Parts: sequence; C-alpha cells; structure tokens
Amino acid sequence: MEEVEKCVNCGFCESVCPTFPASGYISSFGARGRVDLGKYLIKESLKKNPVDLNIADSFYSCLSCNACVVVCPAGVNAGKVSLIARKVITEGNYVSRSNEQPVAKMIVNSIMKYYNPLGLRKKCSKWAKDLEFDSRSETILYTGNMFQLMPYSKSLASIKKKVGKRNTDRFARLLASWPLLIKLASNLYDRDLAIRMEKSLKGIVMLLKKSGVSFGYLREDEPYPGTFLFELGYEQEFREYANKVYGMFKSRGIKQVITVDPHTYDIMKNEYPKVIKEFNIKVLHYLELVKTDIFRKTEETITYHEPCHFSRSETPFNSPVELLANLSDLRMPAFNGRATYCCGGPDDLIYTDLANSVSDARSEQLRATGASKVITSCPICFTNLNKYSSVAELSEFLEGLLI
Amino acid sequence: MKIVSELEKISPGNVLTSKENKIPYLRDASYYTGEFPAAVVIPRNTSELSRIMKFCYENDVQVVLRGGGSSLTGSSIPNEECILLSLSRFDKIIEVRVDDNYVIAEAGVRLDFLNDELSKFNYFYPPDPASSRVSTVGGTLATNAGGLHGVMYGVTKNWVLGMEVVLPNGEIVQLGGPTLKRSMGYDLAALMIGSEGTLGIITKAILRILPKPECSGRILAYYRLIEDAGKAVSELKNKGIIPLMAEFLDRISMDSIKQVKDIDYPQGSEYMLLVDIASSVESLSRHLELAAEILRKFDPVNVRITTDAKEMQKMYDARKGLYSSILSQRNSKSDYVIIGDVVVPSSETAGTLKDIQKSIEKHNLQVALFGHIGDGNIHTNIFADVENNEKMVVVEDFQNEVGMIAVKHRGSVSAEHGIGLEKKGLLLREFQQRHTEGTLEVMKIIKNCVDPKNILNRGKMFDL
Repeated sequence: MEEVEKCVNCGFCESVCPTFPASGYISSFGARGRVDLGKYLIKESLKKNPVDLNIADSFYSCLSCNACVVVCPAGVNAGKVSLIARKVITEGNYVSRSNEQPVAKMIVNSIMKYYNPLGLRKKCSKWAKDLEFDSRSETILYTGNMFQLMPYSKSLASIKKKVGKRNTDRFARLLASWPLLIKLASNLYDRDLAIRMEKSLKGIVMLLKKSGVSFGYLREDEPYPGTFLFELGYEQEFREYANKVYGMFKSRGIKQVITVDPHTYDIMKNEYPKVIKEFNIKVLHYLELVKTDIFRKTEETITYHEPCHFSRSETPFNSPVELLANLSDLRMPAFNGRATYCCGGPDDLIYTDLANSVSDARSEQLRATGASKVITSCPICFTNLNKYSSVAELSEFLEGLLI
Repeated sequence: MKIVSELEKISPGNVLTSKENKIPYLRDASYYTGEFPAAVVIPRNTSELSRIMKFCYENDVQVVLRGGGSSLTGSSIPNEECILLSLSRFDKIIEVRVDDNYVIAEAGVRLDFLNDELSKFNYFYPPDPASSRVSTVGGTLATNAGGLHGVMYGVTKNWVLGMEVVLPNGEIVQLGGPTLKRSMGYDLAALMIGSEGTLGIITKAILRILPKPECSGRILAYYRLIEDAGKAVSELKNKGIIPLMAEFLDRISMDSIKQVKDIDYPQGSEYMLLVDIASSVESLSRHLELAAEILRKFDPVNVRITTDAKEMQKMYDARKGLYSSILSQRNSKSDYVIIGDVVVPSSETAGTLKDIQKSIEKHNLQVALFGHIGDGNIHTNIFADVENNEKMVVVEDFQNEVGMIAVKHRGSVSAEHGIGLEKKGLLLREFQQRHTEGTLEVMKIIKNCVDPKNILNRGKMFDL
C-alpha cells in the first residue's frame, strides 16, 4: 500500500522497463502497469477477497532489474511492487493461489529440499574436481552454483519452448509434488555452455591464486544462495533458507566469502543481513582481491554489459568498469551505469520469448558501440547475450590478459 | 463480442480483452479513472490501423487513443463503449535529415528517445515537456505540448512540418511535407495540432530540428516575493536576454526536491528561479554574469551561477519529475495532485501569481506552484482527495477562478496540457469571457465534417 500510494501514474518507470517493449507494448507487462494492477488489487480486496484476477504473468515476468526505481521521481519502487505481489500470490490471501507459477513452485520445493534449484549440488561441484583449495581457510570461494546451473537452465528453457506452456506447467506441478524427479534434469544440459562456464570458474580460481589469495571451497556441500526464493516472493522460505545457509557457513568457521557473480554478491551483501540476526560474514567479489598488475593491456576495442545487480545494487559495484577501462579500449553502450539495460536472463526459464526479446534489444545496444567483443561479469547475462554476439565472460577475458 | 472477433481478424494477436490487461489502460497521468473498454488494440502499422478505423467507422464503434499515457487532463481515458487504440508500436525513427533540418518519426516514439538519436548528429528537437521521458511524438502533437524550453523555442506547433494521419473513416492522408515553406490552401497539419485525437490519428510526423546550443549555464536565484521573481524575468527580456529556460518553483516545490533529490535551498527563500542561458564557449561566462546581474537587482535571497554539468542535470531531472515527487508534500495521505495549467503573457506573470495566491487563501486549499515563468505558464498543483465530492466542488471552483484570472490577464485556461475531460467547462467559460463563443461553434462544425459519426475521442474537449 505504502509503495503504490506515492505513485501519480506518470509513466517514467514504463519508459525504461525492458519487458514493456519486449511484450509488444502490453502495459500489464510494464512497470507502470504492474503498479496499476497493484493499486487495483488493493482497492478491490477491500470489497471482495480473494480478488478474481489473473496477475501471475504480469508480476512473475518482472525481471527485478530495478531500472524503474532509478527513474521514478516519487521514489516508488515498482520492482518491489512485483516482489510484494508475488508474495501475495504465494500466500494466497488476496488473489487465488491458482496464480502461483508451477515452475516457480517446482524450483522452490527443490531448493528447500536439496539446497539447489535442480537438486544438482554434486554435479555443480564437478568443475573443481582436479583443483586444490585450502580446506583450513576461513575464506571460501562461494560460487552459489550460478555458473554451473546455466547449462541446465538453457536446456530446460529450450525444452519448455518445444513442449509449450501448458505441458511445462503440468510437468512442473508434478515435479513440485515429487521433487526427487527433478534430478532427471541432471542429463539435460547444454554441453558447449557447460565448457564455457567451467572455464570461467577455473579462470576465477587462477586469477585469485595469481594474486596470492588463499581460500577454501565447499565442493558438493556448497549451497545455492536462495536467490529464486527471494525473487519469486517466497519470503518466509527465503528467511528460513538464508538462515540455514548462514548456519552452515558459521558451523564451518567461515568468516569471509568470495562471490563470483552479481546475484550471489547482491543477495549475500544486501538481503542476507536483513533476514539474519547479527550477520557477520564478510562478502566480497573476487575482483576486490585480484591484483591489477598481473594483467597486460590490450588495444582491443571492447564493450562491457553491466549486470543490473552490480550497477543498481544498494551497494553498487563498479570495479569491472574501472579495470576494463584501464586495460582496453572500452566503449560503454548507450544504456550504462545506473541506467544499464537488463539482459532478460531472469525471465529465461518461465517467459523465454520475453527474455529473448529483451536480450535482442540489449544485444543491439551493445552492437551499436562498434566494439569487437562484449564482456560481461554474470553467468546469466553471458548465457542470454551469448546467443547473438561475440561475448566473453569477464574472467575468461582477464585470463587472456595475464602476464 | 462481434467487435472483438472482427478486430482480432484485422490485427491478430494484438487485441487485449482480459480484465488484467485492460486495467493499466484505465488511467493516464491525470486523476481520472476510466471504464473498461471493449478491447485494447495495439496495431502494428498504419495499414492495419486504417483497416481498424474503417471497421469502427462502419460499425459506429467509438475509439479512444493513447500515446505515452502521460495526459494530465484525461485525454486518453476510455469508456465502456469504446475500444482503446495504443500507438506504442509506432516506435521507429524513420529518417534523420540534418541537411534539410528535419526528422521523420512515428507517433509512438518518445521524445527523449528521439533526442537521444538526434544528439548523435549534434541536433535536437526543441519542444521539451517535463514528461519527455514518457510523452510521444503523436501525443505531444495532439496536445500541442510545450515544456521547459518554451520561452526560447515556443511550443510543438512551431516545429511541425507535416504528418501522416488516419481519418475516422480509415482513409490515410499526408498533410504538409518536408519543406520549411509550403503555401497550399488550408494548413490541415496545423489543424491536427492540439486536436487531442478528435479529428484523426497521427501516425507519423515530419519535425523541424536544430543544432544543439554550443553550451549553456544556469543561474539559481531565490526570492522572498513572487513579484520580484516575476519582475526579474521580465527585466531579462527587456534587456534582450531570452533564456533557454526560465522556471519557477515555490516553497512546497523546493521542499519536494529537497526531500526526494536532496537539493537544498537558502533559508528565507519562498521562490526559486532556474534560468538557463545558452551561448558560445567564449561568451558563456559573460552572458551568465549579465543575466545574474539583472536578477540580483530584485531583492533576491541569493543568486548563484553554475556550469557544473552534473549539478545542472540533477536539478533538471528534479524539475522534470516535480509533478510526481510533489505528492510527498501532501498534508493527508488520501490526497492526490490535480495539476492546473494556465498561461498569460509573461509580463503579466507576477500579477497573475499574486491573484492566484489570493484565490488559494480564499479557497483554503493546499496548492504548490511551479511552472515556466519565462513564457507565463503557471501550474497550480492542488492537493485534494478526488473521491471527496465536497472537496472537489471547492477544487473546481478554484480551477474556474484561476482560469478566469488568467483570462483577465490576457491569457488562457490551458497552456500545454490540452482540454481533455478536465477543462471542457473552462474552455467554454474562456470563450464566453472573451465574447467569442462562435470559436467553439467553428470547432464543432469542423469536428462534424471530419468525424460525422463522432467516433474519435468522443466527449473530449467538448460535447457535441
């Protein structure tokens, strides 16, 4: 209520919302439309409860990129409205629970049971089987399984497209009831992407070791950070889950985590402290520990796609831009900094067409820089943008510049 | 449902009928809420739009138009007997010709997007409504939008060379063309400007563009009395200085940007002027100092100059978002903002503002004042609970009085927001006050000729 009542419907948020043009300019798929639906829901729920509205697609398709927040003159957080609406859906208090996304429910059940959205923790540790870590260190490399999950996510999105929404939802409902079956996904992955993702993770390890950093890795005990729970509106589950993950870290004497992707960095740095009493683990991104004098400069013209969860985080992280500007001929796209444009990735699994349309738009902006290579520092962005351009993940690019 | 199925045949996949999809179209940026239209249609191109209009004309289906949805007078509010046509997919910039000083853009192109593109050529399109991030080429032509640069560049009508229009019966016509001069009978392109979607649907426009000013700087001047601020701006013009922008904000507005953007103001200030001066790199300091010197003569609390690009941008963004951010200053949480939009010759601004202040006190309303003081355009932002009928009677009386104050000072009840649903009564009152009721009759005759079935934006501007 507090969030939407500040809104005068000026539409500034709609003008920057990536899903609005991607949907073919359907307002309920734009930030202002979502706020309008929120207002309507509040008003109608005072008369009749639950309100007869199908709001799932509108709110679940929000990318949580927070582009809207940056431009709202009144300080309305339209992204937060989507988060609240998803919470309302999951609680079933004001709208029918039929709004709940079957795929979302399936993933949530798996996370709560297996500490991984697809029950694949063991598989997610395979990339490091030949690597050595310092098992006594109070600092760990925390991948959050994000790089490792991308090849599966890409495969599932493509299967979903082939079988259609109805069959996907039907199957997802089944999996939500029988989470064990989700492990069937273990063989459904994009092999080329898996190789790239593994290379990126190994590259990060190399950069840290070259910089003299000592750290451990939890291997198959490493839990997923719970980003889906938070972003899909499962507030209670997220609180419970984050406390379990935190408890796991503390029981192992971990005092510092080195994250490798913006989603894990942002949620650990900004959301965990809100739901965990006296949170006292230091959260770093690996670039904060990597020395800059281990790289040579290049004359290559590159552009950098800034992930939303770095640029628009409560604690913005701009180190990649600064480093890349020092090392290369960096040309930033028209939408950069706080105005960066989402890659569409967060919608890839549930709203694949919408995600593709957003990544098309972003790819075009990146192409317009004239750069020969696109660098990004997020496995989700990499996966979505890699479909169209010459994209390299940051660590992969940096590894090539090691002296 | 026959209507929906027929529309679906013409524009497959682009007809929205579910309640969830229609809800966001019930509102624009005004305080009005419409009724659920029969359908929302988002056509892909002019040919499809033309066929939709032909069908609607033949079947007496009312059509309400929507561009960026930033109308402040309810121009794009639907009713339950209409279909709502969204022009959002007309989003392409077709041609930029800097050698011929024009750009051709489709109706759904947002003005900031247009200027981002033009800036690659070091050119710009001068009309600059505060909603430029949202407002579209088609919508701003249909309302003859003005904005922050009106003092130097005038309003939208000064920058339109031609357009493509779909008439109510579906016929596509080309009005005007890409030349600076064209004398060939009635200027029908001019007729479309400010017609608020009642005569035809603008699908693309040929717009004049200019090279960007070489550079500009800003003077921030703070006053205790609005008369002093008004006289200061008049004196600038008397001395031959035409600002690029001359805005004023009252204390409530200054408090709003202080709260939302952390932009403070000197103690004792009741009004603030933002005066931009465009110049060459070599002359900018001298021109800014000349203008500041004039502003200092009118008993200011403080006058300072800035050329810091970041500071200028922050203040500019704050001013452009003021209509939205000002809600933070309301006394009651049930209040909303009802924005007024009167205009007077700029020399009359100070006197008009004084009269408006008296009217605010008389009506005992909370009102924030800001506007484009350089061109005499004053926005009265009234805080009121729009569902409180008693209060709205007072608001309406106040709006009427302010409108007549403007007319008394040789001005008008509407400067740049148009008439829409909100000012139909005021439009009539202005013509009556000026003893020219016949003007409204001519408008109605034109409407009858072009749209004899009255299907386009029925009930907007005036009732037939």
